[in-house]
Amino acid sequence: MHITLFQAILIGVVYYLGNIGTPWLSLLGSISVVYKPLVAGTLVGFILGDPVQGCIIGAAINLPYVAFISAGGTAPQDPGLAGTVGTAWAMAAGVDPATAVTIALPLGLLGTMIWVAHMTLDVTFVHMADKAAEEGNIEKICFYHVAPPQILMFCLCVIPATIATYYGSTAVQGLIEQLTGTPLTVLQVIGGLLPALGIAMNLRAISRPGTLLFYMVGFILVQYLGLPVIAVAVLGGVIGYFYTVLLNHNSLPQVALGGTSQAVIDEDEEDF
Amino acid sequence: MAEEKRLSKKDVVKAFWRWTFFSHANYNYERLEATGLVHSYKHIIKKLYGDDSEEYRACIKRHMQFFNTEPHIGGVIPGIVLAMEEERANGAPITDEAINGVKTGLMGPFAGIGDTLWQGTLTPILLAFGISLGSQGNLMGPLVYTLLMFGVMFPAAYICWMKGYELGKDGIEKILGGNQLQMLITGASAMGAIVLGALSSQFVTVNCAAVIKFGALEMNVQETVFDALFKGILPLGVTMLTLYLLKNKKMKATTVMGILIIIGLIGGVIGFLG
Repeated sequence: MHITLFQAILIGVVYYLGNIGTPWLSLLGSISVVYKPLVAGTLVGFILGDPVQGCIIGAAINLPYVAFISAGGTAPQDPGLAGTVGTAWAMAAGVDPATAVTIALPLGLLGTMIWVAHMTLDVTFVHMADKAAEEGNIEKICFYHVAPPQILMFCLCVIPATIATYYGSTAVQGLIEQLTGTPLTVLQVIGGLLPALGIAMNLRAISRPGTLLFYMVGFILVQYLGLPVIAVAVLGGVIGYFYTVLLNHNSLPQVALGGTSQAVIDEDEEDF
Repeated sequence: MAEEKRLSKKDVVKAFWRWTFFSHANYNYERLEATGLVHSYKHIIKKLYGDDSEEYRACIKRHMQFFNTEPHIGGVIPGIVLAMEEERANGAPITDEAINGVKTGLMGPFAGIGDTLWQGTLTPILLAFGISLGSQGNLMGPLVYTLLMFGVMFPAAYICWMKGYELGKDGIEKILGGNQLQMLITGASAMGAIVLGALSSQFVTVNCAAVIKFGALEMNVQETVFDALFKGILPLGVTMLTLYLLKNKKMKATTVMGILIIIGLIGGVIGFLG
């Protein structure tokens, strides 16, 4: 199948619309909908004239990204690029879904560079907004919040995705084969490290006595007991509740010694 | 005192939609959602402080500070802050510290909890369903997935935002007087930290690929050294190093990101990490 330039540009726009933070479909419509290869692949299929095939390939590419999380401003991989350009390549080459996954996965790693570039370059616009804040000009802040970062994001997304799609698997595939081995491993290693930044930013934001101890509890529950995160969250809620209650009535041992709980509550009212 | 400046429900809902769509439009490594919050509050700030240029500018600058949370469940925070700003504009003694305290105290816990519920739980469940249909070429897969995602998350986000606003209105006296806010932040922080531990355990991946050879004996460093010492010690160490650089060394997030990339680059090239 031949992909025209127009189709390639449309596919680039789908990638842009799905990228985390683009406002046009809401944040949810980007990261949770068009960013997912299941949806992105179907849209690419529509553009290329075969939505059903796009859907099948997108679903296959989505499998490795089912548990994808972007927390605290870090994205370990880029399912969006894998889902759009990956599906286009697979459809152009007419390969089966399993092969499509192997074509798409390196794209998911390359895409992280686009993410890092936009997260870094957008800092410039915050500094411009700071100047506007000094002047008390809120209209200008709102302008810096939307127009420049989104024009930048549009270029960062549409240009590479369009070129990759248009010149197609043959040309870019050669490039990717060159990258296979150490360069892709390095991207994978970096993709594994970066979520630490998001976690650490959130930990810094909490920054209270005992935060790191609680953090260790959660870490060990998953590492050693292999509990799913939602189970840890429920346990965390229980622990958080009792911790608060105990802090508030910190002479609770008296209850064990036979005092009534009512008396304890009364005498410790202003203890916190 | 001048006449009361009250926010209508329309104002609050409008701020919610502005937040829902534009919260991450200028997402960046320095202040994350800060300009998103100002953008969402635009009409509110104008209405509340439009007649007082000093307070107007102070309010804008107050919300240009670092802010980052999960934007749907965590929408409860900007909801509370809306009510606090409204009270403040009408002369209630609400300090900058009180407003900043609510924001910084709650954003971390709600980020951990919100991301777990939304991205860590709801998304995989809906995806599993959508992918199983989609892989058979059934277009209902992506369609139903999309509708369910919007159908669950938009109402959830709306309820959290409005509840936050109500909480801020009803609880403002209690919050300022008693220790209820402190209790809420304490409990949510403990829960949030535990959840962040679980998330980092799952999503920060650092593996040692080095193999030491003693003649015929091959020793996998990851298994025989690191796993034996403490499972997950490498991801834990990297996260702690990152936190140390951010918090104790006061480095910028972009600098820390550069350091992480260099560690990955060197570790990957010499084959120590992989």
